[in-house]
Amino acid sequence: MASAAATALSVGAEAEYWDGLLAGELRLQRCAGCKAWHWPAVFRCADCGGWDHIWEAAALTGKVYSWTRSWHPFGGLEAIEKPFVIAVVRLDGGGSARLIGIMEDSGDIHIGQPVSGRIMTTQFGGDTVPSIRWSA
Amino acid sequence: MKGIAAVAGIGLRQFKRGTSPLPERGVLTQAVMDACEDAGFDSADIDGFATYGDDKNEPVRLMQDLGTKELSWSSQVFGGGGGGIAGAFGQAVGAIATGQASAVIVFRALVQGNSGRLSAAVMAHHLNAHMIAAGLVAPAQVCAIRAQRMFEYFGVPKSAVENFVRAAAWHGERNPQAEAYQQSFDPNTYHKARWISEPFRLFDCSRENDGAGALLVVSAARAKDLKKIPVHIQGVAQGAAKGWGDLLENDDDDQYATAGFKAVARRLWAQTGLTPADIDVAQVYENFSAQGVASLIDHGFCDYESVGDFCTFENLIAPGGKLPINTAGGNLAQGFIHGIGMPIEAVRVLRGESANPVPGARTCLLAGGPGAPVVSSAIFSTVLT
Repeated sequence: MASAAATALSVGAEAEYWDGLLAGELRLQRCAGCKAWHWPAVFRCADCGGWDHIWEAAALTGKVYSWTRSWHPFGGLEAIEKPFVIAVVRLDGGGSARLIGIMEDSGDIHIGQPVSGRIMTTQFGGDTVPSIRWSA
Repeated sequence: MKGIAAVAGIGLRQFKRGTSPLPERGVLTQAVMDACEDAGFDSADIDGFATYGDDKNEPVRLMQDLGTKELSWSSQVFGGGGGGIAGAFGQAVGAIATGQASAVIVFRALVQGNSGRLSAAVMAHHLNAHMIAAGLVAPAQVCAIRAQRMFEYFGVPKSAVENFVRAAAWHGERNPQAEAYQQSFDPNTYHKARWISEPFRLFDCSRENDGAGALLVVSAARAKDLKKIPVHIQGVAQGAAKGWGDLLENDDDDQYATAGFKAVARRLWAQTGLTPADIDVAQVYENFSAQGVASLIDHGFCDYESVGDFCTFENLIAPGGKLPINTAGGNLAQGFIHGIGMPIEAVRVLRGESANPVPGARTCLLAGGPGAPVVSSAIFSTVLT
């Protein structure tokens, strides 16, 4: 059962993902029937028509798929020191899902670079949301 | 779709951001009246409206000022960005073809005092907790990440993008109605401008204007009897292929570093029976420079390998380039009212009214807001080929 906080963060079917982060763990969705990975999370598996899902723990390791170093003081990012790097990372496991997060130690960041992540929080305006921090 | 409907009139009011003399609905009313004047059409006879990008001006509220006798149809394409711009023309054609409307205004209006900053509004539409958690909160960052993979992984040369920007600037420099009128492109300024979000510097990013644009769409038969040369809507496609959309950066490998037109371009060419070789001039919506070039690739004018050869400055400028693009200056140099200047320039250049004419041009591609979850394209033409 998803916590109220995670439900509030969810835009779709991924309340369990937020529950996982709040519990310090990355959990991703698989269809209980055909075992297909789904990310973003789904309510219904379009591969087999199933409505039941399991949430599996996955390791926070992967490779940089793309990235940007952000310089402009966009609204809401006051708490983040600029410039900072946003990385899209393709997980080694977890159905090769791509997850986005801020990357530390990003000096020579490049596509294909192996990274690992830890679970932190990000402040956006007055809100604090669970997040993934990547580092080389 | 071809032969059903045509653009008969255009109106554009553009001001520097924050300087509109009237609130949004007032400027929009002016643009609609301009389009009617241009066509020689009584505004009271407009009975339909189509827009995109979360425009807040409900058509029913325009009726009193326009003298509308009866509103019979109105619609809006989903999406917070400019992806739906060409799709709005497709909706207008559909309404006319099915008799739901007979004279449709396609419009977009944006005045900062009323609707705030466009970039903030677009982002508010798409923002979610995953993006906030990563500090990914602006369209510039979202498009920058896709552009980075185009450059770094697929080897698209940055010269292609610079030439695209330079061609738009060259057209803007020669367009008295452009923000960049009489301003020449300085490579040094371009390369040394401050970073926004790598690989984008300041002049890779469109800047917002206040204003409104309106295009009057009527049946092809009716357009013949109005003041101006009809500009036919030859084809329109909107949508997203499987593996593209609102996917938290999980778009398919073969679509991730694109502008999102995979399915839309295929359907546009199939629908019209045309190919890129048949297009004489193009208005390529560029929210950001690299996304404009990605749109050219998506539509098949070139690919990741040949884009450097295709996107030379000479190829992209009027009058004689292989594919003159953004002949008014585009969003980067002409002005940016959420892209509505692009279809207006498509009409102008086909009528021979552009500040940068393309003599003999008969077909013009409009590629809508690239990188959006839903994108759309259209082909306008003076002849039904």
